[in-house]
Amino acid sequence: MTEVRGLATASLTKAFGGVVALDGATVEFRHGQVNALIGPNGSGKTTFFNCVTGMIRPDSGQTTYRGRDITRKAPHAIVRAGVGRTFQLCRVFPRMTALDNVLAAVRPAGLPGLLRGARARTEVDRARGWLTRLGIEHLADVEARNMSWGQQKLLELAGVLMGDPETVLLDEPAGGVNPALLDRIGTLVRELNAEGRTFVIVEHNMDLVMSVSDHIVVFDRGRPIAEGPPSLIRSDERVLGAYLGV
Amino acid sequence: MAIARRPVGRIVQVAMVLVLAAAVLSFPALAPNPYILSAGVVVLNYAVLSTSWNFVGGFTGYISLGHGALAGLGAYGTALLVTRAGLPSFVALVVAALLVAALAVPIGFAALRVRGASFVIVSIALVLILLLVFQSWASLTGGSRGLVVPRPFPGLLRPEHHRVFYFLFAALLGLALLAWWLIDRSRFGLGLKAIREDEDKAEALGTPTFAYKLVVFVVSAGFTGLAGGLYALWFGDLDPVFQFSILTGSYMVLMALLGGVRNLFGPLVGALVVGIALEYFKVEFGDTQLHLVATGVLLALVVLFMPDGVLPAIGGLLNRVFRPAQNSIREVTAAQLRDQRAAEAEAREPVDAAAGRREGAR
Repeated sequence: MTEVRGLATASLTKAFGGVVALDGATVEFRHGQVNALIGPNGSGKTTFFNCVTGMIRPDSGQTTYRGRDITRKAPHAIVRAGVGRTFQLCRVFPRMTALDNVLAAVRPAGLPGLLRGARARTEVDRARGWLTRLGIEHLADVEARNMSWGQQKLLELAGVLMGDPETVLLDEPAGGVNPALLDRIGTLVRELNAEGRTFVIVEHNMDLVMSVSDHIVVFDRGRPIAEGPPSLIRSDERVLGAYLGV
Repeated sequence: MAIARRPVGRIVQVAMVLVLAAAVLSFPALAPNPYILSAGVVVLNYAVLSTSWNFVGGFTGYISLGHGALAGLGAYGTALLVTRAGLPSFVALVVAALLVAALAVPIGFAALRVRGASFVIVSIALVLILLLVFQSWASLTGGSRGLVVPRPFPGLLRPEHHRVFYFLFAALLGLALLAWWLIDRSRFGLGLKAIREDEDKAEALGTPTFAYKLVVFVVSAGFTGLAGGLYALWFGDLDPVFQFSILTGSYMVLMALLGGVRNLFGPLVGALVVGIALEYFKVEFGDTQLHLVATGVLLALVVLFMPDGVLPAIGGLLNRVFRPAQNSIREVTAAQLRDQRAAEAEAREPVDAAAGRREGAR
């Protein structure tokens, strides 16, 4: 059986003035698995996410998804290719209800699709299904700005999942989240992965990383310094020196 | 409870629309004199302009002060197609609006690449550039001498002329409101509102934001062009200084903000308030700049006390009075989560879950 090629980058470089955020990062994530991207603050993880998802343009290098070059594609085109993402500082549509936040991820096909009612029953049922799965169905009619940080995090994830991406990039899903919610997110990631979704998670919470990940890539100074399964990463000397500080 | 309230809410909405339509349509019969009737035409013109602006401002949150220029283009386009090309008045009106919509494609292509204050400045630049062009190109536009537009109904006396145009503007307003409502309830509209809330996030969810903005800008320009053209046919005389004025765009923004940009009838309510106030100040204080001062004060009051506009403020007040407080939206506790999980597990695999609990108890 041939291994499916998922999200990969080759020599991805991005500098902001004199600061080199990505320094020729070449990474290949394991398709169908839960991948984690860890590293010290400022190591280029979020810039890497932003370049991969088209939010910012890399200075050079290439991003491919399932063998297709997506380097210069617009973010919406990358989503349509199958790569969805959340943001480090959770982003929801504050003055829209939770239900509309999720429905906003529906991608209409053609003019008739665009002009169809936004609250078509099939889509509403699907959106409510995601809200239920994330445990916030009771907030469907609440404006997102009135929800707590943790609830907004779950809502953001529900919106991304509504778009049915094959690969989901989560930028610090555990940031500012209480332990009960963290448990829920970890379980959900494993469940969704079992259903066939690939995950790439940027995270500082090592308990979460080590418990959910199959494959870990460690960044330092804008490039990967180590990668492998959690058991290997835990004992890698370069990782211990650069990130875990041991 | 929410489900039970919906049909009643819909009936109230439909009743309000019917009352509003009846009030608008009966106004000409109730107007005591031609001046009041002409003021009604002006207010309706403002309502159409502001509703047209609200396709962009209300849905996407992009504040354009340049929509006056699009109305000016519609007005001059209609006038020139009648006087130079010899088209029938209303054919000219439609053709001019289509041309304005077509011109909005390159304008939008350039202007919509920037956001926030930069977009506002670009939109102002559009007005100033067109003002210079239409003033300087006197051989075509008549320049500062003005351009006389032949009346479409030359046999009508002035009161009848106002009455006919009142209904034409009312029909155009109805059309613009219908289009806004259709977009508002559509997936396209939801995408536009997502852009208003957070454009990058909307893009990251798969919305082609630039295409959405461009399409709605073109729709908005088409309606604004129609309003400008109809004004040209009604008023009969065009001057670049008035047609390409920053004030026109500012009034559109003020009216929409005053009524509420997120509301279908917000710009109409704003047009009623601002239009009547402007006419009042002009009648009371003549050819002074006092009406501009009053407009500025009104804008300041709206921004300070009703940032979402009159209609949302009234809606919020009614909600506070008639609706009970919402339940807490607190997150679940760890204990609740554990119980929830256990219940879910039991529903899936009753035997295993029960065994797990027994194990835990030991």
